[in-house]
Formats: sequence, C-alpha cells, structure tokens
Amino acid sequence: MYNKITAHIEDHREELERLWKEQLTSDTDARIIDIMPEHIFESTSSEFFDIILLNLKDKDREYKEKLQSFSDKVVRLGWPVALVVKGLREFVHTVQENLVQYGSIDKEREGDYLELLDKWMTPISNEIIQTYAETWEKTVSLQKMALQELSAPLIPVMEQISVMPLVGTIDTERARLVMENLLDGVVSHRSEVVLIDITGVPVVDTMVAHHIIQAAEAVHLVGAKCMLVGIRPEIAQTIVNLGIDLDKFITTSTMKKGVELALEMTGRKIVELEG
Amino acid sequence: MRIPILKLNDCLLISIQWELDDQTALEFQEDLLKRIHETNARGVVIDITSIDFIDSFIAKVLGDVINMSRLMGAKVVITGIQPAVAITLIELGIRLDDVMTALDLEKGLEKLQQELGD
Repeated sequence: MYNKITAHIEDHREELERLWKEQLTSDTDARIIDIMPEHIFESTSSEFFDIILLNLKDKDREYKEKLQSFSDKVVRLGWPVALVVKGLREFVHTVQENLVQYGSIDKEREGDYLELLDKWMTPISNEIIQTYAETWEKTVSLQKMALQELSAPLIPVMEQISVMPLVGTIDTERARLVMENLLDGVVSHRSEVVLIDITGVPVVDTMVAHHIIQAAEAVHLVGAKCMLVGIRPEIAQTIVNLGIDLDKFITTSTMKKGVELALEMTGRKIVELEG
Repeated sequence: MRIPILKLNDCLLISIQWELDDQTALEFQEDLLKRIHETNARGVVIDITSIDFIDSFIAKVLGDVINMSRLMGAKVVITGIQPAVAITLIELGIRLDDVMTALDLEKGLEKLQQELGD
C-alpha cells in the first residue's frame, strides 16, 4: 500500500501540487494569501510537498531535519497555524480523491488508504503545532519579563523623597513586586516620604486598594511615610462607593500637591528666586 | 544570652543583634519592663536592623512589649525594620499602626526627642 501511494504521488506530483494549491487558495481567506509574496508561497508549498513525500518514503533522518527546518520556517514567516493545518488536511483529501480518480486503489479499500494517509500526516501536524506553541510560549515569557522590568520603578526625586509611578493594572504578582521594590528602595535611598502615583492605574477595585494599603503599611513599618497621589475623580468615586477606608493615608489629587506636601513634611519648601 | 539594654539620658536603647528565639524574646520583655520601672525612662528605641526574618511569636512579643511599655509611660520607636521583615509582618496581619517607626537609630532618636518635646 505504501509503495502504491508513494509511486502515485511521485508520478502525479505536478498535478497534485496544482490541485492542492488551488484547493488551499480557494478556501482560505484571501487576505492571508495576499499578505504572502507569491514566490514564497510557491516555494514553501513545494517544500511542504517534499516533506510529505520524504515522510512517505520513510527516510527517517533526512525527514526529521527537514520537518524541523520547515516548521521553523513557517513560524518565522508568520503563516497562520490554521492555514498550515488546513494544508495538511487538504493534502490528504487531494491525494485520496486523485487516487480514486485514477483508479489506483479499489473502492472497497478506500477507507484503509485514508487511514494510512492520516497516520502519516499526524506526526507532521503534531510537530508543526508544537513548534508554533513553543514559539508562542517563548514570546509570552519574554514579554512577561519585559513587563516586569517596566513594572515598578522607584525614583528618588529629591533627598528624602521618592516617587513610585504605577501604570497599568495591578495584579497580585505585580503588587508583590511593587511592595518589594518600594521597601528596598525606601531603605536604600533613605527616603522619609514615598509618593505612590496611581494616575496611570485604570481601575482601583478592592483588591488593588488592598495591595496599596498593604504596601503603605509596610512602608510605615520600615520607618517612612507613604502618600497616595494622582487620585482622579472617578477613582475617588469608586473608592468611596466601594467603602474602602483610606483615612489613615495622606492622599492628594495630583503629584504636584503631593510633592509640596512631602516637602512640608520634611521641613522644606519651594521658593521662587527674586529678581 | 540576654539582650543588653543601654540607658541614654531618659531613653533606653536596645539593639537586637541576632535572631531572637522564643526564650530570649520573653526574657527581653521582662528585662525591658524592669529597666523602664527602675530608670523611669520616658522613651525606648528598639533597633532591629540586624534581624532578617521574624516569626509570628516574636512579632507578637514585640507588639506586646510596645503596648506594655506604653502602659508604663514610655514611648517606643522601632527602627531599622528590614523590607523582608516588614512584608512578613504585614502578611501576618501585624500592623503596628500606632507604633512609631524610623529608618535607622539616628532618625529614631530624633523622632523620639521630638515626641517627648525637648
């Protein structure tokens, strides 16, 4: 059976390739095909065909290497995974239809052939999907790292005064990072007052407030004062509506007022130069 | 080994230099209260810069000592709480809300002098 199929495919390769490509282009969203330059699509499709043939011919080592480089290539080219999987499925269909059409297989044994073809295709699609998944996972973890680096910087703006601007949503992991950076920074910069700026935090719910309150209490423990600045009107409304108690904290609407207050607390003020 | 308690004018200075075990902590509590009684100290500074971690029992003893000292008329400032210790305390739910804290011994003494009004 193997040999029969391989021989058939090799004999009718050009026809099959044409049929397969037609099938693929007609069914797929035109936009996906459009974004790919034609010659790349052609060459990659041919390569795809080669790999399938190699697999059928059972040249194990060569096939594995080729498959690996092929899946790397499609991932790099940014082919949608749906298209690749579809290509595999269409291949089985095309070959099977073609086999029947040329009468190379008996009608009764059609099911067997289909099963066999399917068996060949499964490892290929597995490999390709796995490569895709690995690439995605890698991207996600890289982005996570990048996000963490941006996450919570503590800026010593003046002697004894530091500012931590928070931008974006705060989840539990980020809150932990915020707290650690905050405390380490306070101790190493010897800050008396720390301003946490939440202008860039889109939503303050009970959980976010809880994290901020915890951070502020921890700051109190290490011996500094914590101020919450950048409270926008809608944030003030949510905080009160949710019944979050921020009475113990000094809060101001803008960073400017916060800095002035912090200077006052450390016994200084900004004066304009005369003349 | 007992924790030394030093007297400076009308303040008591305690610097805890090693991790406390339960027994030492309790002894420290007794010693400190005794010294406050003997010296009529008005302020106490406890410096825990060298402590890197703390368990719930020690934290509780520390909180108790502060409340007891306050009952005896001495104001307490805790100085040099390490970030990791602060996080542990918060996670244990020990807030030390009305306790004075300072970054280091120097600032702690300053704060205490201010509080005592001289």
